[in-house]
This record gives sequence, structure tokens and C-alpha cells, in this order.
Amino acid sequence: MNNETLLWQVRHFVYNHFADTIHPPSVEQTAQHFNISTEQAGELYKELNDRHSFFLEPETLTIRMANPFSGLPTDFKVHANGKTYFANCAWDMLGIPAALHCDAVIDAVLTESGESVQIEIRDGKITDPSGTSLQDQLLVHFPLPFARWYDDLVFT
Amino acid sequence: MLLFRSEEMVDRWCKRNGLEHGEFLTIDQVWELSKLWYHNRLSMDFHGRNLEQVAEVFKQAGLTSKFWYI
Repeated sequence: MNNETLLWQVRHFVYNHFADTIHPPSVEQTAQHFNISTEQAGELYKELNDRHSFFLEPETLTIRMANPFSGLPTDFKVHANGKTYFANCAWDMLGIPAALHCDAVIDAVLTESGESVQIEIRDGKITDPSGTSLQDQLLVHFPLPFARWYDDLVFT
Repeated sequence: MLLFRSEEMVDRWCKRNGLEHGEFLTIDQVWELSKLWYHNRLSMDFHGRNLEQVAEVFKQAGLTSKFWYI
């Protein structure tokens, strides 16, 4: 297997590990899965980070984000397939059911007001579990244009 | 990207934090964008997008203002 093929297999493994377990695989788990050294798995992690396939915590081999999944708890919880995922942001909270192709209930906290809201995705559509039409009022704020998204991804 | 109840709340938060206003979308718009952006994310064949492909996703999602120029 050439390195390029292995690279994309590692990316696929990381994403499906997130989907199956809600957590990213450690570099040791990935090395064991592919029967390669931890050093080689680490180099592949760095390459995938450089290609924006997922994002490592600075100076580590710990995966912080494989969008839409977050490796850390956030204000955007997505209940789907009997699991609770954390999304990186208000876009990614909808990205998780889109990526998993499933229904979901989302618990999110509104910025500025601090209110908790619930949004439901059912049969490919947004529904209103509260019956208040709240989701008709909600706005997702994009602070930066696309060209600047990767300058500081955590802020974005 | 954060979630707000109203445009007024976005304005207040941006001013207080000294941030640019940026752009905001409704939840329905972001759901349509999410389906286009993330539908194949778990596929072995997904290797990222080039700029032309990103522009095409934004166009399909109806995001055509200057903010979404690539």
C-alpha cells in the first residue's frame, strides 16, 4: 500500500471512529489498527492536519476537530443514533446529522442570551419540538469570510 | 460559528467583543448548507475540496453575496 492510499484510509478510520464512539482515536489506536508504528501514524496525523482533513491540538498528536465532530465538550450537543456527540459550532451541530444521514435532537446554548434551545432533525427536515417556532428566529453567525476560516479555526 | 436569537443580539455581541459583523444565516439555510457540505464526509472517497468545489457548494446553497466569494 502506498503512503497516499494509507493516508486516506487513516482519515476514513478517524472519521468513522468518531462516528462510532463519539471520540477521536489516539495515535496509538490508529497505529494498532493499521499495524504500523506510532511514529508513522503520527506523521500521517500531521500530514492530514496540514491538509485540513482534521485538526490537532497545537504541538500534540491529539485530534481536536474532525469537522463536524469535536474532540472536546462544547455548547452544541447532538443526540443521534443512541449517542451524544459534541459539535464544533452552530454549523457543525447540523453537520453531524448531515454526515451521519440520520435524525437528531440538538441541545444548544445561544450566545449573548445564554438560553438553551432544542432543535430536531427528522426525516431530513428541521422540526420544532417546543412548538414555539423558535427555530424560525435563530441565526447562525459567520464572523469571517471563507478565505479567512483557516487563519484561526477555533475562533472561526 | 455561534447561535443567536436575533440580529440585535449578534450586533451587541460583535460590538462588545470588537469583532467584525460578518454574516448570519437562518437555521434552515445552514441545514441546507450542511447537507451539501457534510453529506459525504464519512466516505472513503472524500479527500477534501478544492476552491472551485467550495464555490460550487456555496452557489448551490444560494450563498452568492460578496462574503462568500472564494
